[in-house]
Amino acid sequence: MMPDWIITAILVAIKLGFVLALLLTGAAYLVLAERKLLGRMQLRYGPNRVGPFGLMQPLADAVKLLMKEDFIPAQGDKVLFFIAPGIAAVTALITFAVIPFGPPLRLFGREMPLVVCDLNIGLLYFLGLSSLAVYGIALGGWASNSKYALLGSIRALAQLISYELSMGLSIVPVVLMARSFSLTEIVNAQTHIPFALLNPPAFLVFLISVLAESKRTPFDIPEAENEIVAGFHTEYSGMRFGMFFVGEYINVIILSSMVTVLFLGGWHGPLLPGIVWFFGKVMLIAFLFIWTRGTLPRFRYDQLMHFGWKVLVPIALLNVVVTGAILLLLQG
Amino acid sequence: MPTLTIDNKSITVPDGTNVLEAAQRLGIVIPHFCYHEALGAVGACRLCAMMFEEGPVKGLQMACMVTAQDGMQISTLHPEAQELRSHVIEWMMLNHPHDCPVCDEGGECQLQDMTIAGGHGRRRYAGKKRTWINQDLGPFVVQEMNRCIQCYRCVRTYQDYCGGDDFGVMGSRNRLFFGRFQPGKLESPFSGNLVDVCPTGVFTDKTFRFKTRYWDIEEAPAVCPHCSLGCTVIPGARYRELQRVRAGVNRQTNGFFICDRSRFGYGYANHRERIRQPNCQGAATSWREALEHLKERLGKVVNEYGPLSVAIVGSPRSSLECQALLREWTREHGYRPPLFEIDNRRDRTARILAAGLGKQARSMAEIADSDCLVMLGSDPLNEAPLLALAIRQAVRNGCHVTCLDPRAVKLPCAASHLPVQPEQLLPAINGLVANRFEEFERQDQLFLEGAAERLGRAERPVLVGGGDLLGPEGTEALLKAARSLNAGLFVTLGGPNSYGGALLSEDGPDSEEMIEAALEGEIKALFCIEADPLTEGPARSARALGQLELLVVCDHMVNRTARSADIFLPTTAPPEAAGTYINNEGRMLPFGGAYAPGLPLRDIGEGGHPPRTFSNITTGGEPRPAWAILATLLQRPLDFDSIHHGLESDPHFAGLGLLSPGGEGRRVTDAGMLPPAAQPEFPHSAPEGSLPLLVVEALFGTEPLSSLSPALEPVIPEAAVQLHPTTAARLGISDGETVSLRTELEHLRLTARTEAEMVPGLLVAYRLRGTPLELLPVGKITPCLLEKGGNDA
Amino acid sequence: MNLIRGIKGTAQAYWITLRTMFRKPVTIQYPEQKRQPFPRYRARIVLTRDPDGGERCVACYLCSAACPVDCISMQAAEAKDGRRYAEWFRINFTRCIFCGLCTEACPTRAIQMTSDYEICNRDPLDLVYEKTDLLIDDTGKDPDYNFYRHAGIGVVNPRGGNEDEKPPADVRDLLP
Repeated sequence: MMPDWIITAILVAIKLGFVLALLLTGAAYLVLAERKLLGRMQLRYGPNRVGPFGLMQPLADAVKLLMKEDFIPAQGDKVLFFIAPGIAAVTALITFAVIPFGPPLRLFGREMPLVVCDLNIGLLYFLGLSSLAVYGIALGGWASNSKYALLGSIRALAQLISYELSMGLSIVPVVLMARSFSLTEIVNAQTHIPFALLNPPAFLVFLISVLAESKRTPFDIPEAENEIVAGFHTEYSGMRFGMFFVGEYINVIILSSMVTVLFLGGWHGPLLPGIVWFFGKVMLIAFLFIWTRGTLPRFRYDQLMHFGWKVLVPIALLNVVVTGAILLLLQG
Repeated sequence: MPTLTIDNKSITVPDGTNVLEAAQRLGIVIPHFCYHEALGAVGACRLCAMMFEEGPVKGLQMACMVTAQDGMQISTLHPEAQELRSHVIEWMMLNHPHDCPVCDEGGECQLQDMTIAGGHGRRRYAGKKRTWINQDLGPFVVQEMNRCIQCYRCVRTYQDYCGGDDFGVMGSRNRLFFGRFQPGKLESPFSGNLVDVCPTGVFTDKTFRFKTRYWDIEEAPAVCPHCSLGCTVIPGARYRELQRVRAGVNRQTNGFFICDRSRFGYGYANHRERIRQPNCQGAATSWREALEHLKERLGKVVNEYGPLSVAIVGSPRSSLECQALLREWTREHGYRPPLFEIDNRRDRTARILAAGLGKQARSMAEIADSDCLVMLGSDPLNEAPLLALAIRQAVRNGCHVTCLDPRAVKLPCAASHLPVQPEQLLPAINGLVANRFEEFERQDQLFLEGAAERLGRAERPVLVGGGDLLGPEGTEALLKAARSLNAGLFVTLGGPNSYGGALLSEDGPDSEEMIEAALEGEIKALFCIEADPLTEGPARSARALGQLELLVVCDHMVNRTARSADIFLPTTAPPEAAGTYINNEGRMLPFGGAYAPGLPLRDIGEGGHPPRTFSNITTGGEPRPAWAILATLLQRPLDFDSIHHGLESDPHFAGLGLLSPGGEGRRVTDAGMLPPAAQPEFPHSAPEGSLPLLVVEALFGTEPLSSLSPALEPVIPEAAVQLHPTTAARLGISDGETVSLRTELEHLRLTARTEAEMVPGLLVAYRLRGTPLELLPVGKITPCLLEKGGNDA
Repeated sequence: MNLIRGIKGTAQAYWITLRTMFRKPVTIQYPEQKRQPFPRYRARIVLTRDPDGGERCVACYLCSAACPVDCISMQAAEAKDGRRYAEWFRINFTRCIFCGLCTEACPTRAIQMTSDYEICNRDPLDLVYEKTDLLIDDTGKDPDYNFYRHAGIGVVNPRGGNEDEKPPADVRDLLP
């Protein structure tokens, strides 16, 4: 028999490969799903030419992006210009490391947690990485040496910093209720009732903040097409643009996963296996993202700031106090 | 200086200004047809109605008929005035046909503009339209009488302003016909102005027929290159083809009109034989190769024979920028000082004039304002047509014109003409100063005394001279005469930029000296910039040029010298590049290039349409401005503006940088230098029984550029020799007979024409291009033998 | 109240998009399904002829002047009978934006738009149409109009022979 550690290593490799493949194809098909859903919302079919029902569209897009000219602005900062899309995509990808997507499996007589790395401070890791993601955008806009790109990245910075605050504050009640920073612990704390039901204000604030963090409608002012062309990625083309693009959709998946983990009870659910519940919930939140994009118009910059600082932050703060008080009372 | 208010805007205008002009000065556009700045107001079209609300005149009045007075309050927007105008324009449109799409005036039609401005858009009158049968008015102007709105502008231009008598108005009431009594060519050399003046499409340019619309044509204000007067013209081109020239406005020179030579002589720029590629020894090459080859050959000559073996001949056709760079080039390399005119007589004339004109200079506007004109050896209609118009305006203002000339000078106005022998011009000039005419016959004495007496009495006298006939001695004498009589002076010169060349020549050698040096073998390389020594130079030029090792020609037309060049570099034609000319009164006139050179699209078409290929390279776009070739040789940046403004470092050209193309220009500030003393001419031994032949310029067919224009071919005069009937009778020659003319070098057959108004004993011939006559020196007496018939060649 | 209205308004929007998702799309599946455009559809440009069979185009340059993308060029010429016509006439369909301003500018109804919208091509030069490609043997949309029967310069009818014209006047006639 193989030594024990080899089997462990193989299993870990399989798990990592599964997660990576799932995330990337998930992101690719999320693009297709978004295009088809938006199409239907606008009485169109969406992509339906490449493959049956247009299912090969992501592949065609990838080929197209790879074959496009890789354009670098003449006066741009080349090194930063190369690095920026990488930061955007990689930070999005490695965030998934702490997200538990199913109940622990038992394989070959060993416990196998369905999470890449169950950190006890997983929530802080998530918050840290999501802050890091800002760099990709800020540097991309700066290195392009274009007024539109710079404007876009400045807007993105302001927006992400503002909404990070309300996002962080809306997580505090969850930590209070679960008494842990570990995401697995948080999921397990919702075995019976998801936190969304226990603490709906925190859920709503988190959902909205997450929408803003993903820079999607109605919070897409960093790339507002009719004002600043394409915002921070105006000067990007080919696969570099593709990395920003993939990063955005991975981000959607990760943020949906976070919503699932923090508020919707993760993999917990009746009848079906945990992993199906988990991905079902993620897809539901992702659909909500797309649905919102098809429904709501873009905020104006001042409205965005007003909403973040004067509405969400106070609500989240109040919620922290109230939740804390209730928890104190219940304990006392 | 009355002050009046129009549409609540006040303006102070000079006395005698009419209200329409005052409104125009305020920038108020008021529809009008019959009023024209040059023709004045007649109040015929009834379109410029304004409401006079307060002041000395009240009510609805025609603005062009009311002189501006103090305290007038006028409204152009008064409903009554507007209503009247809209009715008037509607009446005018009653008979106007529905043919704007096929009318050449469309797009630049005053009637179209005024109809829209007047608010008339829909025809209400159901009656039928009046029609006419058109006349054939010759090769320049097309008539389409149906379009006429009876503004009388054409008649006022043709008859009153230009003095034509074969065109007028006939008929009555709504049957007014503007045309000739019989169909035929319009005889006035200013007939083309009908095209500019007609507010609608009755008279259009035949050479421009259906070619281009106004909005497609590339135009820029320019200076006419066909004589020395410096008239402002506006050449227009499309698809790399120069398609028309129209009159520009320069109140100091041409006013509002130009002559037919200027208007229809543009064909040289599109000439099919024009060489548009640099070539060495007849083989086309690229610019780089040609210039390298040139530097190599020139270097070889300089190494072997020294820099003084290189001579440069510039041209009065070249821009001032080109001429100045030429001088700089010779100075930098120590070559011989450049010549700017190979014709020694014209060169010296221009230099003497430029040296001394000073305060005596008069513009054409001042000639039109003169009260006594004495013309000496000047035939304006042939040498400088617009001068004739200025003289006519002076006559219309009450000026008396005296003309002393061997030719039968025809003017479009009344003038007293005394035929004198060419050599009598000098004594006549000196006599005018001293009022002594002993050398003349008694009858002529009386005439001349009368002229001198009028000259002394006049307040604004101007002496008008023809540089060709006067020559350097005559010009010098005329200058002195003008100074001592305190009269103005106006001398026509050889080319559009003769004056500039004369200023730049300073006291450098003349062409005589250069030809001698070439004959003695001192000159080994000759550079001709837009010059043609083989045609324009003395007869010895051919022998002198034969001894050269290198002949470089830069030109935009093919001529004798260009054909025998070792290296030929194509230059742009005047409308194709910017530059500056100095006209014969020393007025600096910058011009802009209207279009970029290239082979006209018409000449490269395939299957009736332009080629179906895409290219960034203009076919035949190689020609470069002469200044640019010189700047390349001087290793200066190819920047016209820096060269143009750099000219100001020469005190002559102070203020040049402030001028803009199409402006009135400005006189040069400093006098030129006198040429070195002339070498005495050896008297030619005239053969027994020979007659003096005077070769002169004609309106059409003698000027080098316009003579290449196909449009002018139908009006080029026949190759003829003019002589007085008594001379003809003595020789037994009758009018219209073919005669044989034999000079020292040429033998040609011409038609004899008797001319009673010219001086007896003299033969006069036009120096027609393309005939052996073009080789004879202009303005100079050539002895020749005239025989009847003469079939032996 | 504002809060309730706001929530209601937002929810309504979500409802509408959700509902629309389940309706049948209006997309036409070109090129399998083709659509016959209306007669006044603005696609490929043609030059028509007058009812007498002559070319309507008089090369007045108005279409090229009206064209916002400068895709029309031509050269006018004069025929022996005085008719003004286009010596060559070129429309560059790679540039054309099918705005129809040329047809509105045309005073003779020569240039007209058809509903033939399928003019894609791989070689741009094949989209540069010459007069032979443009001229059709039909009167197009205004079958009765002949410009020269109204213009009054005597091409189709002798001078003064059109319906709305008097015969040529005689200048030497003294009668009132």
